[in-house]
Amino acid sequence: MRCFLFIIFILMVSGISCGKEEVEQIEVHVPEGVTVPEDMVYIPSGEFIMGHPDEPKTRKGQKVSIDAFLIERFEVTREQFKLFKPDYSFHPKKAKFPVSMVTFAQAQEYCQWKGRRLPTEAEWEKAARGPDGRKWPWRKYYEHPNNGFSGFLPEPVDQRHEWVSPYGVYGMGYNVWEWTSDWYAYDGILEKDRNRFKVIRGGLTQTHTVIKFSPAYYRNKIEPTAHFNFIGFRCLLGMASLRASGS
Amino acid sequence: MKLLSRKFNRRFFLSLLSLSTTATILPSKVFGLSDYRRDKNIPKQYIQNRDRPGFFIRSANPFMGVDANDWGLSISGMVANPTALAYEDLFGFKVISQVSRLKCVECWSATAQWEGFRFQELIDRVKPDPKAKYVYFQSADSYYESYTLEELLRPRVLMVIRMNGQPLSKDHGFPLRLIAPFKYGYKNVKYITSIEFTDSRKRNYWANNGPYSVDGTIQPGIDHPLDFNKKPLPINGGEVFHPFDKRPS
Repeated sequence: MRCFLFIIFILMVSGISCGKEEVEQIEVHVPEGVTVPEDMVYIPSGEFIMGHPDEPKTRKGQKVSIDAFLIERFEVTREQFKLFKPDYSFHPKKAKFPVSMVTFAQAQEYCQWKGRRLPTEAEWEKAARGPDGRKWPWRKYYEHPNNGFSGFLPEPVDQRHEWVSPYGVYGMGYNVWEWTSDWYAYDGILEKDRNRFKVIRGGLTQTHTVIKFSPAYYRNKIEPTAHFNFIGFRCLLGMASLRASGS
Repeated sequence: MKLLSRKFNRRFFLSLLSLSTTATILPSKVFGLSDYRRDKNIPKQYIQNRDRPGFFIRSANPFMGVDANDWGLSISGMVANPTALAYEDLFGFKVISQVSRLKCVECWSATAQWEGFRFQELIDRVKPDPKAKYVYFQSADSYYESYTLEELLRPRVLMVIRMNGQPLSKDHGFPLRLIAPFKYGYKNVKYITSIEFTDSRKRNYWANNGPYSVDGTIQPGIDHPLDFNKKPLPINGGEVFHPFDKRPS
């Protein structure tokens, strides 16, 4: 009997430890002639649901159609950024952490240096939530495992296999917020605020006691000259430039 | 008419003045007022945590405050010209005024007009070594805080000597405090007595004694401003500006 109970216990424990659900991935067809670099993910063209009906400063859940593109699977890391800016320094143990403290212009320069560009908001949101309008890239709601406190806790960009988008993109809703190329705007925005803030997407929100993922449609904004520890970025390759280069 | 003239004559105003003076001497309970202490075991004459409407007071180590005659500021470490300043010396710098919000890590925030000088003025005077990338502050109440030099040179950072048109009060950090609006309140060190330039980062009081980070940059989230009845408002991260706040142009 004891042996039987022990086996049940072991099965239960293994069930718990292996019980992390994988995010169901969308199968995409990469067109002939398009080579997807190892660090990028192909996002097909077509409609997706952008914004949320309850959030008036978003696209309110409208269907938006965009061209296909390639987006970097992970946020740009500190070791990658150092290749671009040799005098940039970081702790050797944090090579795979997202680069932060970069302004919009620096992020843009990095992407251009790689022959890429920053994503638009629409591109970012589609890569995060896929076409089905889900709130969280990984579909289900999770409590963030950390307690809220006063600091930002970055982590390696490839650490969370359970928090990926349906296209397999990491870091969309946690880790750093990411620069997009769009100015923050919405219907009825005050003239003085037009062309003043860039949209940042996909980081954590926190208060004294609570830390939360941001929903895939959540828009944050910040002045382009800001450089904080909670802002990083990733780059993108549009189909237009792919077609132009013939790859 | 007779009633009015009796109401507002000289004696009436003198009696009013007398009453208001008495009110400041008598225990506040007589008048049903509160001193807003969070911990009634700490003597009320101490600077301490008080939930005073409009602007809460936070002080990690209750103490009696600073006497200007005994106060001095030492600026040392990796600098060419170590310097000591007296209270009067604080008024020898170019005064800058700004309105900014102090955002407490506990959720609330409050706004004030701050007057003071740029940290660059101290740098010009002491000439730090180029390798000195960090600055360590110590306070009269045994509090301590650390910054990168780059952070202290950002445009809205002030070494503050006046608040809302008055000399800085004891509760708010007399005679000298730091205001770095993009950092949580605990980074805005009060009653500063020592500034040291270093080439490595030191930890701060709340990283050693509580759950708070050394960095303390205000993160995106929710604020409960005291000037908005503590109703929740979203914040973007960095310096807090609510829709009713004026952003610097």
